[in-house]
Amino acid sequence: MVTPVSVLRMPKGPDPNSRGFDPKSPRFIALCRPSIPTSAVSDADAEQLQKEQHARSVLRERFLRCVLSMTNKNVRFHMHERVKVEATFGASDIDVLNFQVSDLHTPIGVQKEALIRSQDVISFTFDI
Amino acid sequence: MAMRQTPLTCSGHTRPVVDLAFSGITPYTNVTLVSSLLLLSDGKPMLRQGDTGDWIGTFLGHKGAVWGATLNTDATKAATAAADFTAKVWDAVSGDEVLTLAHKHIVKTVNFTQDSNCLLTGGNDKLLRIYDLSCPEAAPQEIAGHSSAIKKALWCNDDKQILSAAEDKTIRLWDRSSMEEVKMLTFDTSVSSMEYMADGEILAITYGKTIAFYNALSLDLIKTVEAPAPINSASLHPEKDFFVAGGDDFKLYKFDYTTKEELESYKGHFGPVHCVRFSPDGELYASGSEDGTLRLWQTAVGKTYGLWKCVLPEDLGAENSEQLYTSPTEIKA
Repeated sequence: MVTPVSVLRMPKGPDPNSRGFDPKSPRFIALCRPSIPTSAVSDADAEQLQKEQHARSVLRERFLRCVLSMTNKNVRFHMHERVKVEATFGASDIDVLNFQVSDLHTPIGVQKEALIRSQDVISFTFDI
Repeated sequence: MAMRQTPLTCSGHTRPVVDLAFSGITPYTNVTLVSSLLLLSDGKPMLRQGDTGDWIGTFLGHKGAVWGATLNTDATKAATAAADFTAKVWDAVSGDEVLTLAHKHIVKTVNFTQDSNCLLTGGNDKLLRIYDLSCPEAAPQEIAGHSSAIKKALWCNDDKQILSAAEDKTIRLWDRSSMEEVKMLTFDTSVSSMEYMADGEILAITYGKTIAFYNALSLDLIKTVEAPAPINSASLHPEKDFFVAGGDDFKLYKFDYTTKEELESYKGHFGPVHCVRFSPDGELYASGSEDGTLRLWQTAVGKTYGLWKCVLPEDLGAENSEQLYTSPTEIKA
Protein backbone atom coordinates (compact mmCIF):
# COMPACT_ATOMS: atom_id res chain seq x y z
CA MET A 1 0.00 0.00 0.00
CA VAL A 2 1.39 3.35 -0.98
CA THR A 3 0.92 5.94 1.76
CA PRO A 4 1.00 9.66 0.97
CA VAL A 5 3.57 11.64 2.98
CA SER A 6 2.05 13.43 5.96
CA VAL A 7 2.09 17.18 6.13
CA LEU A 8 1.89 19.43 9.21
CA ARG A 9 -0.14 22.11 7.46
CA MET A 10 -0.41 23.89 4.13
CA PRO A 11 1.97 26.80 3.39
CA LYS A 12 0.60 30.13 4.58
CA GLY A 13 -0.83 32.31 1.84
CA PRO A 14 -0.68 36.08 1.39
CA ASP A 15 -2.51 38.36 3.82
CA PRO A 16 -5.14 40.25 1.82
CA ASN A 17 -4.83 43.25 4.12
CA SER A 18 -1.11 43.88 4.08
CA ARG A 19 1.92 43.59 1.88
CA GLY A 20 3.74 41.56 4.51
CA PHE A 21 7.40 41.86 5.59
CA ASP A 22 6.31 41.81 9.24
CA PRO A 23 8.95 43.65 11.31
CA LYS A 24 8.22 41.30 14.22
CA SER A 25 8.96 38.18 12.19
CA PRO A 26 12.11 36.18 13.02
CA ARG A 27 13.30 36.64 9.44
CA PHE A 28 13.09 40.44 9.61
CA ILE A 29 14.89 40.51 12.95
CA ALA A 30 17.60 38.16 11.71
CA LEU A 31 18.26 39.97 8.42
CA CYS A 32 17.63 43.58 9.37
CA ARG A 33 20.82 45.48 9.88
CA PRO A 34 20.86 46.75 13.48
CA SER A 35 21.54 50.42 14.15
CA ILE A 36 24.29 49.62 16.65
CA PRO A 37 27.32 48.55 14.60
CA THR A 38 28.85 46.13 17.05
CA SER A 39 25.62 44.14 17.42
CA ALA A 40 25.88 43.03 13.83
CA VAL A 41 29.38 41.60 13.66
CA SER A 42 30.75 38.88 15.85
CA ASP A 43 34.40 39.83 15.43
CA ALA A 44 33.85 43.48 16.35
CA ASP A 45 36.58 46.00 16.85
CA ALA A 46 37.48 45.84 20.55
CA GLU A 47 37.83 49.60 20.86
CA GLN A 48 34.46 50.22 19.22
CA LEU A 49 32.92 47.62 21.51
CA GLN A 50 34.34 49.33 24.56
CA LYS A 51 33.07 52.73 23.44
CA GLU A 52 29.59 51.39 22.90
CA GLN A 53 29.57 49.57 26.20
CA HIS A 54 30.68 52.74 27.97
CA ALA A 55 27.87 54.66 26.28
CA ARG A 56 25.41 51.99 27.40
CA SER A 57 26.61 52.28 31.01
CA VAL A 58 26.31 56.06 30.98
CA LEU A 59 22.79 55.95 29.60
CA ARG A 60 21.72 53.26 32.06
CA GLU A 61 23.12 55.14 35.03
CA ARG A 62 21.42 58.32 33.87
CA PHE A 63 18.11 56.53 33.62
CA LEU A 64 18.41 54.92 37.05
CA ARG A 65 19.28 58.23 38.69
CA CYS A 66 16.31 59.79 36.97
CA VAL A 67 13.95 57.17 38.34
CA LEU A 68 15.51 57.58 41.81
CA SER A 69 14.99 61.32 41.82
CA MET A 70 11.32 60.90 40.84
CA THR A 71 10.40 59.32 44.18
CA ASN A 72 7.53 61.15 45.89
CA LYS A 73 7.42 63.74 43.13
CA ASN A 74 4.37 64.66 41.10
CA VAL A 75 4.69 63.01 37.67
CA ARG A 76 2.56 63.48 34.57
CA PHE A 77 2.19 60.35 32.42
CA HIS A 78 1.41 60.63 28.76
CA MET A 79 -0.02 57.28 27.64
CA HIS A 80 -1.59 55.53 24.65
CA GLU A 81 -5.16 56.34 23.58
CA ARG A 82 -4.58 60.01 24.43
CA VAL A 83 -4.49 59.34 28.18
CA LYS A 84 -2.81 61.96 30.36
CA VAL A 85 -2.74 61.31 34.09
CA GLU A 86 -0.97 62.71 37.10
CA ALA A 87 0.26 60.85 40.14
CA THR A 88 2.84 60.78 42.89
CA PHE A 89 5.62 58.46 41.85
CA GLY A 90 6.52 55.63 44.18
CA ALA A 91 8.88 53.20 42.53
CA SER A 92 9.60 51.11 39.48
CA ASP A 93 10.04 47.33 39.52
CA ILE A 94 13.43 45.90 38.58
CA ASP A 95 12.57 45.22 34.95
CA VAL A 96 10.79 48.58 34.52
CA LEU A 97 7.57 46.78 33.66
CA ASN A 98 5.39 48.52 36.25
CA PHE A 99 5.40 51.84 38.09
CA GLN A 100 3.92 52.01 41.56
CA VAL A 101 2.12 55.34 42.07
CA SER A 102 -0.11 56.98 44.67
CA ASP A 103 -3.00 59.43 44.25
CA LEU A 104 -3.46 58.70 40.57
CA HIS A 105 -5.78 61.35 39.13
CA THR A 106 -8.04 59.74 36.56
CA PRO A 107 -11.18 61.05 34.76
CA ILE A 108 -13.28 58.85 37.06
CA GLY A 109 -11.63 59.82 40.32
CA VAL A 110 -8.47 59.62 42.35
CA GLN A 111 -6.99 56.15 42.85
CA LYS A 112 -5.11 55.95 46.17
CA GLU A 113 -2.66 53.33 45.02
CA ALA A 114 -2.11 52.06 41.49
CA LEU A 115 0.25 50.18 39.25
CA ILE A 116 0.88 51.65 35.84
CA ARG A 117 2.03 49.28 33.11
CA SER A 118 5.13 50.86 31.60
CA GLN A 119 4.32 49.43 28.15
CA ASP A 120 1.30 51.74 28.07
CA VAL A 121 3.41 54.83 28.82
CA ILE A 122 4.67 56.92 25.92
CA SER A 123 6.44 59.53 28.05
CA PHE A 124 6.39 61.09 31.52
CA THR A 125 7.52 64.43 32.89
CA PHE A 126 8.30 65.82 36.30
CA ASP A 127 9.94 68.87 37.79
CA ILE A 128 13.28 68.27 39.45
CA MET B 1 6.34 1.00 3.35
CA ALA B 2 6.18 2.89 0.07
CA MET B 3 5.59 6.62 0.34
CA ARG B 4 3.80 8.78 -2.20
CA GLN B 5 4.93 12.35 -2.78
CA THR B 6 2.66 15.00 -1.22
CA PRO B 7 3.35 18.28 -2.98
CA LEU B 8 2.65 21.44 -1.00
CA THR B 9 0.48 23.87 -2.91
CA CYS B 10 1.18 27.52 -2.16
CA SER B 11 -2.07 29.36 -2.45
CA GLY B 12 -2.88 32.97 -3.07
CA HIS B 13 -2.06 33.60 -6.70
CA THR B 14 -4.71 34.19 -9.30
CA ARG B 15 -2.54 34.45 -12.38
CA PRO B 16 0.18 32.24 -13.90
CA VAL B 17 3.44 31.88 -12.04
CA VAL B 18 5.98 32.73 -14.70
CA ASP B 19 9.27 32.72 -12.87
CA LEU B 20 10.77 31.82 -9.54
CA ALA B 21 14.17 32.19 -7.94
CA PHE B 22 15.78 30.93 -4.75
CA SER B 23 18.32 32.92 -2.82
CA GLY B 24 21.35 31.30 -1.26
CA ILE B 25 21.05 29.85 2.24
CA THR B 26 20.94 32.61 4.83
CA PRO B 27 21.48 32.43 8.60
CA TYR B 28 18.16 32.79 10.37
CA THR B 29 17.47 32.80 14.09
CA ASN B 30 20.98 31.44 14.55
CA VAL B 31 19.72 27.93 14.00
CA THR B 32 17.67 27.35 10.92
CA LEU B 33 19.05 28.11 7.54
CA VAL B 34 16.51 28.99 4.94
CA SER B 35 16.45 30.37 1.50
CA SER B 36 13.89 32.80 0.20
CA LEU B 37 11.74 32.09 -2.76
CA LEU B 38 10.66 34.86 -5.08
CA LEU B 39 7.91 34.24 -7.56
CA LEU B 40 5.94 36.22 -10.06
CA SER B 41 2.25 36.09 -10.48
CA ASP B 42 -0.51 38.65 -11.06
CA GLY B 43 2.34 40.93 -12.03
CA LYS B 44 3.14 41.06 -8.29
CA PRO B 45 6.42 39.56 -7.14
CA MET B 46 5.99 37.65 -3.88
CA LEU B 47 8.59 36.51 -1.43
CA ARG B 48 8.09 33.20 0.33
CA GLN B 49 10.13 31.20 2.80
CA GLY B 50 12.23 28.68 0.89
CA ASP B 51 11.66 25.64 3.09
CA THR B 52 7.95 25.93 3.86
CA GLY B 53 6.51 28.12 1.13
CA ASP B 54 5.02 30.46 3.75
CA TRP B 55 4.33 33.91 2.34
CA ILE B 56 6.65 36.66 3.63
CA GLY B 57 5.56 39.68 1.60
CA THR B 58 4.63 41.15 -1.78
CA PHE B 59 6.61 43.80 -3.63
CA LEU B 60 4.15 46.46 -4.71
CA GLY B 61 5.02 49.19 -7.17
CA HIS B 62 5.21 47.95 -10.74
CA LYS B 63 2.55 49.21 -13.13
CA GLY B 64 2.72 46.30 -15.54
CA ALA B 65 3.31 42.56 -15.76
CA VAL B 66 6.54 41.48 -14.08
CA TRP B 67 8.55 39.17 -16.33
CA GLY B 68 11.73 38.54 -14.45
CA ALA B 69 12.85 38.60 -10.83
CA THR B 70 15.92 37.71 -8.89
CA LEU B 71 17.26 37.74 -5.34
CA ASN B 72 20.82 38.50 -4.32
CA THR B 73 22.76 35.72 -2.57
CA ASP B 74 21.85 36.65 1.00
CA ALA B 75 18.22 37.53 0.18
CA THR B 76 18.55 41.13 1.34
CA LYS B 77 17.81 42.59 -2.07
CA ALA B 78 15.46 41.72 -4.90
CA ALA B 79 15.27 43.02 -8.45
CA THR B 80 12.37 42.82 -10.88
CA ALA B 81 11.93 43.42 -14.62
CA ALA B 82 8.54 44.56 -15.91
CA ALA B 83 6.41 45.48 -18.85
CA ASP B 84 6.13 49.03 -17.53
CA PHE B 85 9.60 49.66 -19.06
CA THR B 86 11.33 49.66 -15.67
CA ALA B 87 13.54 47.43 -13.61
CA LYS B 88 13.22 47.94 -9.85
CA VAL B 89 15.51 47.11 -6.94
CA TRP B 90 13.86 46.29 -3.60
CA ASP B 91 14.90 45.86 0.00
CA ALA B 92 13.94 42.21 0.51
CA VAL B 93 13.79 42.60 4.29
CA SER B 94 11.41 45.56 4.53
CA GLY B 95 9.74 45.17 1.13
CA ASP B 96 10.47 48.81 0.26
CA GLU B 97 11.27 49.90 -3.27
CA VAL B 98 14.83 51.17 -3.34
CA LEU B 99 15.45 52.07 -6.99
CA THR B 100 13.60 52.42 -10.29
CA LEU B 101 15.67 52.11 -13.47
CA ALA B 102 13.92 53.46 -16.54
CA HIS B 103 14.31 51.58 -19.84
CA LYS B 104 13.12 52.24 -23.36
CA HIS B 105 11.05 49.08 -23.67
CA ILE B 106 9.75 46.05 -21.76
CA VAL B 107 12.41 44.67 -19.43
CA LYS B 108 12.55 40.88 -19.30
CA THR B 109 15.49 39.84 -17.15
CA VAL B 110 17.53 41.08 -14.18
CA ASN B 111 20.56 39.60 -12.41
CA PHE B 112 22.78 40.76 -9.51
CA THR B 113 26.55 40.32 -9.38
CA GLN B 114 27.78 38.20 -6.45
CA ASP B 115 28.62 41.31 -4.40
CA SER B 116 25.18 42.80 -5.24
CA ASN B 117 26.86 45.98 -6.50
CA CYS B 118 25.87 45.74 -10.15
CA LEU B 119 22.61 44.87 -11.86
CA LEU B 120 22.39 43.39 -15.35
CA THR B 121 19.18 43.99 -17.31
CA GLY B 122 17.89 42.93 -20.70
CA GLY B 123 14.65 43.19 -22.61
CA ASN B 124 12.78 44.02 -25.76
CA ASP B 125 15.09 46.86 -26.79
CA LYS B 126 17.72 44.17 -27.52
CA LEU B 127 20.34 45.83 -25.30
CA LEU B 128 22.11 44.48 -22.25
CA ARG B 129 22.60 47.11 -19.56
CA ILE B 130 24.91 47.13 -16.55
CA TYR B 131 23.92 49.45 -13.69
CA ASP B 132 26.26 50.40 -10.88
CA LEU B 133 23.96 50.33 -7.86
CA SER B 134 26.26 52.54 -5.82
CA CYS B 135 25.69 55.40 -8.29
CA PRO B 136 22.39 54.63 -9.99
CA GLU B 137 21.98 58.06 -11.59
CA ALA B 138 25.00 57.35 -13.77
CA ALA B 139 24.19 56.09 -17.25
CA PRO B 140 24.44 52.29 -17.49
CA GLN B 141 26.94 50.57 -19.73
CA GLU B 142 25.21 49.13 -22.78
CA ILE B 143 26.04 46.07 -24.84
CA ALA B 144 24.44 45.73 -28.27
CA GLY B 145 24.50 42.72 -30.58
CA HIS B 146 21.36 40.65 -30.30
CA SER B 147 18.99 41.04 -33.24
CA SER B 148 15.81 40.51 -31.25
CA ALA B 149 14.38 40.73 -27.73
CA ILE B 150 16.56 39.43 -24.90
CA LYS B 151 14.84 36.82 -22.72
CA LYS B 152 17.50 36.04 -20.13
CA ALA B 153 20.83 37.52 -19.09
CA LEU B 154 23.16 36.13 -16.44
CA TRP B 155 26.50 37.06 -14.92
CA CYS B 156 29.03 34.28 -15.21
CA ASN B 157 32.64 33.31 -14.63
CA ASP B 158 32.95 35.27 -11.40
CA ASP B 159 31.01 38.22 -12.88
CA LYS B 160 33.71 38.71 -15.52
CA GLN B 161 31.41 37.61 -18.32
CA ILE B 162 27.76 37.87 -19.31
CA LEU B 163 25.62 35.19 -20.91
CA SER B 164 22.47 36.22 -22.74
CA ALA B 165 19.68 34.36 -24.56
CA ALA B 166 17.40 36.09 -27.07
CA GLU B 167 14.49 35.49 -29.43
CA ASP B 168 17.03 35.50 -32.26
CA LYS B 169 17.70 31.84 -31.28
CA THR B 170 21.21 32.59 -30.07
CA ILE B 171 22.96 32.49 -26.74
CA ARG B 172 25.91 34.85 -26.59
CA LEU B 173 28.80 35.14 -24.19
CA TRP B 174 30.24 38.64 -23.62
CA ASP B 175 33.35 39.87 -21.88
CA ARG B 176 32.39 42.45 -19.25
CA SER B 177 35.44 44.71 -19.55
CA SER B 178 35.77 44.80 -23.33
CA MET B 179 31.97 44.53 -23.83
CA GLU B 180 32.73 42.34 -26.85
CA GLU B 181 31.06 39.12 -27.91
CA VAL B 182 33.28 36.15 -27.08
CA LYS B 183 31.18 33.17 -28.19
CA MET B 184 27.80 32.42 -29.75
CA LEU B 185 25.62 29.29 -29.66
CA THR B 186 22.88 28.97 -32.29
CA PHE B 187 19.76 26.87 -32.01
CA ASP B 188 17.01 25.84 -34.41
CA THR B 189 14.33 26.99 -32.06
CA SER B 190 13.94 29.60 -29.35
CA VAL B 191 15.50 28.74 -26.02
CA SER B 192 12.85 28.43 -23.29
CA SER B 193 15.15 28.68 -20.28
CA MET B 194 18.80 29.10 -19.33
CA GLU B 195 20.19 28.69 -15.79
CA TYR B 196 23.44 28.01 -14.00
CA MET B 197 23.46 24.97 -11.73
CA ALA B 198 25.79 23.22 -9.31
CA ASP B 199 27.54 26.35 -8.09
CA GLY B 200 28.02 27.82 -11.56
CA GLU B 201 29.77 24.75 -13.01
CA ILE B 202 27.02 23.67 -15.35
CA LEU B 203 24.71 25.61 -17.63
CA ALA B 204 21.28 24.06 -18.30
CA ILE B 205 19.40 25.17 -21.41
CA THR B 206 15.97 24.00 -22.51
CA TYR B 207 14.49 24.21 -26.01
CA GLY B 208 11.76 22.12 -27.60
CA LYS B 209 11.73 18.76 -25.80
CA THR B 210 15.46 18.96 -25.08
CA ILE B 211 17.30 19.67 -21.88
CA ALA B 212 20.95 20.42 -22.68
CA PHE B 213 23.81 20.66 -20.19
CA TYR B 214 26.92 22.66 -21.00
CA ASN B 215 30.22 23.25 -19.25
CA ALA B 216 29.70 26.75 -17.85
CA LEU B 217 33.19 28.06 -18.59
CA SER B 218 33.94 26.59 -22.01
CA LEU B 219 30.33 26.34 -23.22
CA ASP B 220 31.12 22.85 -24.48
CA LEU B 221 28.10 20.58 -24.64
CA ILE B 222 28.17 17.87 -21.97
CA LYS B 223 24.96 16.03 -22.81
CA THR B 224 21.37 16.41 -23.98
CA VAL B 225 18.29 14.61 -22.70
CA GLU B 226 14.99 14.30 -24.53
CA ALA B 227 11.75 14.61 -22.56
CA PRO B 228 8.33 13.27 -23.58
CA ALA B 229 6.93 16.80 -24.01
CA PRO B 230 8.10 20.36 -24.75
CA ILE B 231 10.03 21.61 -21.73
CA ASN B 232 9.92 25.14 -20.36
CA SER B 233 12.32 24.84 -17.48
CA ALA B 234 14.78 22.43 -15.85
CA SER B 235 16.88 22.34 -12.70
CA LEU B 236 19.83 20.16 -11.72
CA HIS B 237 20.18 18.95 -8.13
CA PRO B 238 23.17 20.58 -6.35
CA GLU B 239 24.82 17.15 -6.08
CA LYS B 240 24.38 16.56 -9.80
CA ASP B 241 22.76 13.16 -9.42
CA PHE B 242 19.43 14.05 -10.95
CA PHE B 243 17.46 16.88 -12.48
CA VAL B 244 13.82 17.89 -12.77
CA ALA B 245 12.02 19.40 -15.73
CA GLY B 246 8.53 20.67 -16.46
CA GLY B 247 6.69 21.88 -19.51
CA ASP B 248 3.58 21.93 -21.62
CA ASP B 249 2.08 18.56 -20.59
CA PHE B 250 1.59 19.85 -17.00
CA LYS B 251 3.83 17.13 -15.54
CA LEU B 252 7.08 17.30 -13.62
CA TYR B 253 9.75 14.84 -14.69
CA LYS B 254 12.67 13.57 -12.67
CA PHE B 255 15.67 12.21 -14.57
CA ASP B 256 18.89 10.52 -13.51
CA TYR B 257 21.62 12.94 -14.64
CA THR B 258 24.24 10.24 -15.23
CA THR B 259 22.14 7.67 -17.07
CA LYS B 260 19.59 10.13 -18.56
CA GLU B 261 16.88 7.70 -17.51
CA GLU B 262 13.44 9.06 -16.60
CA LEU B 263 12.93 8.12 -12.93
CA GLU B 264 9.55 9.59 -12.02
CA SER B 265 6.89 11.87 -13.30
CA TYR B 266 4.35 13.73 -11.19
CA LYS B 267 0.97 15.03 -12.14
CA GLY B 268 -0.49 17.78 -10.03
CA HIS B 269 -0.49 21.02 -11.95
CA PHE B 270 -3.54 21.99 -14.00
CA GLY B 271 -1.61 23.98 -16.54
CA PRO B 272 1.78 24.12 -18.28
CA VAL B 273 4.74 24.29 -15.92
CA HIS B 274 6.65 27.52 -16.56
CA CYS B 275 9.51 27.24 -14.09
CA VAL B 276 11.10 24.67 -11.82
CA ARG B 277 14.02 25.14 -9.44
CA PHE B 278 15.81 23.17 -6.77
CA SER B 279 16.29 24.90 -3.44
CA PRO B 280 19.95 25.65 -2.66
CA ASP B 281 20.12 22.78 -0.13
CA GLY B 282 18.57 20.40 -2.67
CA GLU B 283 15.89 19.23 -0.21
CA LEU B 284 12.99 20.36 -2.33
CA TYR B 285 12.15 21.77 -5.73
CA ALA B 286 9.52 24.37 -6.54
CA SER B 287 7.39 24.47 -9.69
CA GLY B 288 5.33 27.38 -10.97
CA SER B 289 2.51 26.89 -13.41
CA GLU B 290 0.02 28.58 -15.70
CA ASP B 291 -2.64 27.33 -13.23
CA GLY B 292 -1.53 30.05 -10.82
CA THR B 293 -0.04 27.71 -8.24
CA LEU B 294 3.41 27.22 -6.85
CA ARG B 295 4.06 23.68 -5.67
CA LEU B 296 6.86 22.40 -3.49
CA TRP B 297 8.06 18.81 -4.02
CA GLN B 298 10.30 16.74 -1.77
CA THR B 299 13.56 15.43 -3.14
CA ALA B 300 13.65 12.56 -0.64
CA VAL B 301 10.01 11.53 -0.41
CA GLY B 302 8.97 10.81 3.17
CA LYS B 303 11.78 12.69 4.88
CA THR B 304 10.99 15.16 7.67
CA TYR B 305 11.76 18.60 6.29
CA GLY B 306 9.89 21.90 6.34
CA LEU B 307 6.22 21.05 6.53
CA TRP B 308 6.66 17.39 5.60
CA LYS B 309 6.67 14.94 8.45
CA CYS B 310 8.11 11.45 8.45
CA VAL B 311 5.49 9.21 10.04
CA LEU B 312 6.50 5.73 11.17
CA PRO B 313 4.06 2.84 10.49
CA GLU B 314 3.15 2.43 14.17
CA ASP B 315 2.06 6.09 14.42
CA LEU B 316 -0.43 5.85 11.58
CA GLY B 317 -4.00 5.40 12.84
CA ALA B 318 -2.95 5.89 16.48
CA GLU B 319 -4.16 8.82 18.61
CA ASN B 320 -1.77 11.60 17.90
CA SER B 321 -1.65 14.93 19.72
CA GLU B 322 -0.10 16.60 16.69
CA GLN B 323 -2.29 17.60 13.81
CA LEU B 324 -1.27 15.42 10.93
CA TYR B 325 -3.22 15.05 7.77
CA THR B 326 -2.64 13.85 4.28
CA SER B 327 -3.68 16.13 1.48
CA PRO B 328 -5.98 14.92 -1.32
CA THR B 329 -4.33 12.22 -3.40
CA GLU B 330 -1.96 13.39 -6.08
CA ILE B 331 -1.74 10.91 -8.88
CA LYS B 332 1.65 9.57 -9.73
CA ALA B 333 1.67 9.32 -13.49
